Amino acid sequence: MTGPLIVQSDKTLLLEVDHDQADACRRAIAPFAELERAPEHIHTYRLTPLGLWNARAAGHDAEQVVDALVQYSRYPVPHALLVDIAETMARYGRLTLSKHPVHGLVLTSTDRPVLEEILRSKKVQPLVGARIDPDTVAVHPSERGQIKQTLLKLGWPAEDLAGYVDGEAHPIDLAEDGWALRPYQKQAVEGFWHGGSGVVVLPCGAGKTLVGAGAMAQARATTLILVTNTVSARQWKHELVKRTSLTEDEIGEYSGTRKEIRPVTIATYQVLTTRRKGVYPHLELFDSRDWGLVIYDEVHLLPAPVFKFTADLQARRRLGLTATLVREDGRESDVFSLIGPKRFDAPWKEIEAQGYIAPADCVEVRVNLTDSERLAYATAEAEEKYRFCATTATKRKVTEALVRKHRGEQTLVIGQYIDQLDELGEHLNAPVIKGETSNAQREKLFDAFREGELNVLVVSKVANFSIDLPEATVAIQVSGTFGSRQEEAQRLGRVLRPKADGHEARFYSVVARDTIDQDFAAHRQRFLAEQGYAYRIVDADELLTDS
Amino acid sequence: MTTPPRTLAEALRARDDESLAGLLRARPDLLNPVPGDITQLATRAGTRASVVRALEHLDKFALQTAEALAVAADPAPYETLLGLLTGDGRDDGEHRDDADAAIADALPGALATLREQALVWGENERLRLVRTAREILAPSPQHASPTGLGPTVAEATSGMSPGRLQEILAAAGLPATHDPVSAVAALSALFTDRAGMGELLDSAPAEALSVLDRLVWGPPYGEVTPNPTPPVKWLRDHGLLLPVSTRTVVLPREAALHLRAGRAHRVPAPRPPAVEAVADRDPQAVDSAAAGQAFLAVNTVEELLKSWNGGGPAILRAGGLSVRELKKTATALEVPEQVAAFWVELAYAAGLLASDGEADERYAPTPAYDDWAELPAQERWTALATAWLAATRTSGLVGGQDAKGRALSALGPELDRSAAPEVRHRVLALLAALEPGTAPDPETVLARLRWERPLRGASASAGDTTDLRSRIALWTLNESELLGITGRGALATHTRALLDAGPAEAAALLAPLIPEPLDHVLLQADLTAVAPGPLERPLADMLSALADIESKGGATVYRFTPGSVRRALDAGQSAADLHAFLAAHSRTPVPQPLSYLIDDVARRHGHLRIGAASSYVRCDDEAVLNEILADKRSATLRLRRLAPTALAAQVDPASLLEGLREMGYAPAAESAEGDVLITRAGARRTPPRTAPVPVPEGPPVPDDTLLGAAVRAIRAGDTAATVVRKDAPESPATTPGALPRTTSAETLATVQAAAMTGSALWIGYVNADGAASQRVIAPVRVEGGFVTAYDHTADEVRTYPLHRITGVAELADDATA
Repeated sequence: MTGPLIVQSDKTLLLEVDHDQADACRRAIAPFAELERAPEHIHTYRLTPLGLWNARAAGHDAEQVVDALVQYSRYPVPHALLVDIAETMARYGRLTLSKHPVHGLVLTSTDRPVLEEILRSKKVQPLVGARIDPDTVAVHPSERGQIKQTLLKLGWPAEDLAGYVDGEAHPIDLAEDGWALRPYQKQAVEGFWHGGSGVVVLPCGAGKTLVGAGAMAQARATTLILVTNTVSARQWKHELVKRTSLTEDEIGEYSGTRKEIRPVTIATYQVLTTRRKGVYPHLELFDSRDWGLVIYDEVHLLPAPVFKFTADLQARRRLGLTATLVREDGRESDVFSLIGPKRFDAPWKEIEAQGYIAPADCVEVRVNLTDSERLAYATAEAEEKYRFCATTATKRKVTEALVRKHRGEQTLVIGQYIDQLDELGEHLNAPVIKGETSNAQREKLFDAFREGELNVLVVSKVANFSIDLPEATVAIQVSGTFGSRQEEAQRLGRVLRPKADGHEARFYSVVARDTIDQDFAAHRQRFLAEQGYAYRIVDADELLTDS
Repeated sequence: MTTPPRTLAEALRARDDESLAGLLRARPDLLNPVPGDITQLATRAGTRASVVRALEHLDKFALQTAEALAVAADPAPYETLLGLLTGDGRDDGEHRDDADAAIADALPGALATLREQALVWGENERLRLVRTAREILAPSPQHASPTGLGPTVAEATSGMSPGRLQEILAAAGLPATHDPVSAVAALSALFTDRAGMGELLDSAPAEALSVLDRLVWGPPYGEVTPNPTPPVKWLRDHGLLLPVSTRTVVLPREAALHLRAGRAHRVPAPRPPAVEAVADRDPQAVDSAAAGQAFLAVNTVEELLKSWNGGGPAILRAGGLSVRELKKTATALEVPEQVAAFWVELAYAAGLLASDGEADERYAPTPAYDDWAELPAQERWTALATAWLAATRTSGLVGGQDAKGRALSALGPELDRSAAPEVRHRVLALLAALEPGTAPDPETVLARLRWERPLRGASASAGDTTDLRSRIALWTLNESELLGITGRGALATHTRALLDAGPAEAAALLAPLIPEPLDHVLLQADLTAVAPGPLERPLADMLSALADIESKGGATVYRFTPGSVRRALDAGQSAADLHAFLAAHSRTPVPQPLSYLIDDVARRHGHLRIGAASSYVRCDDEAVLNEILADKRSATLRLRRLAPTALAAQVDPASLLEGLREMGYAPAAESAEGDVLITRAGARRTPPRTAPVPVPEGPPVPDDTLLGAAVRAIRAGDTAATVVRKDAPESPATTPGALPRTTSAETLATVQAAAMTGSALWIGYVNADGAASQRVIAPVRVEGGFVTAYDHTADEVRTYPLHRITGVAELADDATA
């Protein structure tokens, strides 16, 4: 029994975490293998073409990859797999995008047949210009992102050596008074800056905003920050003023209500994707200044139109921030080709072990439908079924019992359906934050919650992202957006901020037994289960009799 | 003091027993049957088939030596032969000293091989190539020689007019002779004279030299027009190109040899090309990689046969697996189709799978499989490897087409290639000759194989891998890797043992490298179980029933789902069994979600019960039902109480009604909707029917088409029987109505003539059943023993075998009008 790693023929790598060499092995394979699952004993990594190209982009070669696998593998590595790795990695860099003094942007190949192959593709033809010599073809500068995306789909990823514009310089420094960037945040900033553009994946509550601030301090240039909503924009602004040398006046908000363009501008996805008469009136924001850095917050939510705009921004440095690079729409490879490869990734449990996020106890509470509810569920229309079982009255009783059990602790009740939330708010005597709640009202309630004046808050999915509720220790999820894995992760993130007393966070998911609610819950939990969060399952009856 | 032998037989007679045994070993075909005496042996060794076979087994240099002898005079001294291989010392730009030295070293060996195989005999001063070999190897107008040399001056000028010869002599600046023989000798002497030839070429126009350049390394033939260009004309006038036919000229051998600096081959290959290494790997790593692959091979075959346990795929009528079944197998094994074909063929070669011989034939594991499956992994591997080494079936051909364009299917016919075991052994021997841990470059292996048997592959050009031997060699390298014969390209130690010592030794070496089966798994809260290595069989079987396999390889990842747990419960396990099983085989506590899952599934398992009943008894009065059940007479009705007010019966409703009535009850039948069925003598009706069709006397009235056809047939038959025929000369008089009789030569001539003129014939014809008939036909064409003709009798074009035609007679001209 030697190495900690088992290489499977389906290109998954199984790492035994309790092994002596597990840490060394993890460091060796992290650059090229994607961590797929991290439960308690065996972590699963996967080799994907994207991951291997990522590694090539970061300067690793096939020999290093093969060596790492062979060195740590417990059993002989299948030869076919090694050959496949070498072949896949050799595909990267055959094509390079670079600047040409006369022709502007050019695509060059070291392997002429490859160039011939891709030029024959109908998808590439509209993106390229004249053939300059047998190995070089001109590319329309505006198609830099598009061609990278297309080439990636064709299996011949291009190495982008065309560089970045510096943008309009603007002094930004971190104001590290009494606090400092955590080691992993520093690594993330360095990883990003070294790579030029890319995505940083950090768990919720691990301080992604600070990674953004760190990157801005590196760039020292005007910055455009794209966030999911206005509340999030305010929080970014608040955090930046607090953590950097930037002043309130230097930071502009570009949202539905305000249209400020300042050296650092925070815009919402929503305002960018607003469409009037078939045109996007706010697109000019991208060109309004010579941005040196573009930050995409919650990049896993990037709406499709923004992808398209981003394709035109290839000459600017781009930083994507996310907790979960899982997209239910499967567009991860677009993130790779348009924003950039993953530059930094930290497993949740690792950050937890370092004490930067709170340990969490995840509990799935199974409630039984009453007989009459079961009958009603059985006869409900297919599209109504989830709504019906997710909002069953029994859940309300269980939620009340849970709130009672954690009386005095900061508790969030999160749900999908407004009427369910209104009813809960009424019974729990707690305010409800939903889409129609005004921003001012929201901030007022959040402040009250932060100050401890309010113990219980009922929120709809508007609060899924980027609200900063430092002292929430209990989250109770009563319904969700069907089987969304990242929503579950984001909601858990609400309670992961480290508690002052090292208290363990609680995350309850209330699920109706033997219904599709249970199936969706299983799917929602997969991401967290794979990150090592083990859900306990409790019967609601036990809970009700206990309390 | 021995006199030099005068014939091959004498030379053979002079050889000692051991050397004769060597000859017979090298050419075993000579032994079949055993020759009566040396003369017979010599005769047989000179037959064309035997010589061709012997030549095919020569390596490249021995063959080149034989080819060189074939273009030399017969007999030729050793020096001449050496000169033909090394050249005459002039530098022609391709000349290399070290090559010459190698040739000088290798030549005695090559000659010894040729002598031993009785292809060459005689002393070194008078080396003679066996006549048949000379005929095969020497250039002739029909086929170009492998040396690219043409015929000699003497051969090329035979049949040329003496006057033309004299003109050539004059043009070349030689004195005239009056005798063609001496003229040819003078011309040959000029071409072989280095100085004279040099002068002649110096006087040639430059374009002429470039024409020669094109011909010098062969093929030596060129096309000419009746009015050649000046340079070609110059060459023809000087005898450097001699006419072969009106349009073709040839460069005579002597002149070509001069231009080639005396060398018969452009690139002599005295030394076998070395097998070059692409990588030197740690032998230990090689062994463990090969062992890993060997283990995988054994498991794959087992997995394949296990999946065919309950009857494998159906066998095509022509034999073998259909493309769809192969695809299915490939998907199941998660390998490409070509690899799947290899595993299937391997199992077949090892006797582990065969046809079940049923009416609808299917593949199934053989009883030998059960024995094999019981063996330890290393012995299972040696069984597979041994079968593979000796197999003539080549899975690499699967997916291709045979000569007739039929697809070759896995396990199907036509996959045997007799060369396969020999090539396989040869490739492995080449690998074995390398240092342990050395992975060879496949290209150099192929080059070496081509050198060893240059005539066996269809083409010998470098880089061409389309000939069968090269393809088998490439398959061998691929399959070796799959089977764990090699590891990362290099031969494994256990394979060396298998080749040198035997299966037992190989198994002993392999055993420690194969991972030990484990008796535990790691259970995780995300409802997966990981077996970090191969599992003991009972554990593996149970787990694969209880969980779905998510990933295979060195380890196995299982996932528990409600469906998989239910499967285990369906198989008769109880929740308690499952808990105990997991607790026993997990190193860590069983995660709570997993226990919960099992209990949750078990809670619902069997909640609904399904059964079949033929009829039922329903009664609101429970007491009545109690009564019925208690009554002994109800036993035959096989009643079972489902609920207080319902009984299920295993007899049909009518019998149940009858039985209950006999017991003194008054039951009423119920419809599916629960209404009481009222029994009343109802009016019974058949489904819709049509009235019968009247059957009139006699056959049905024929329609017009049929009538027309009948009339035509009758007319034509009548014509055939009554026409006035031209009497064929010398043919016996034929009576009207009797079959004509002519000899087959006459038949053929007449039919051909008729085909040309397009006239009609009257023939007697015997069909395949032996029935004779007369027909009137108009032949269209005659070929290959068949005549295709328009048959007036049948009113269509038909083909008749000539041998079935008893005779023909021409019709009188007005008969067909």
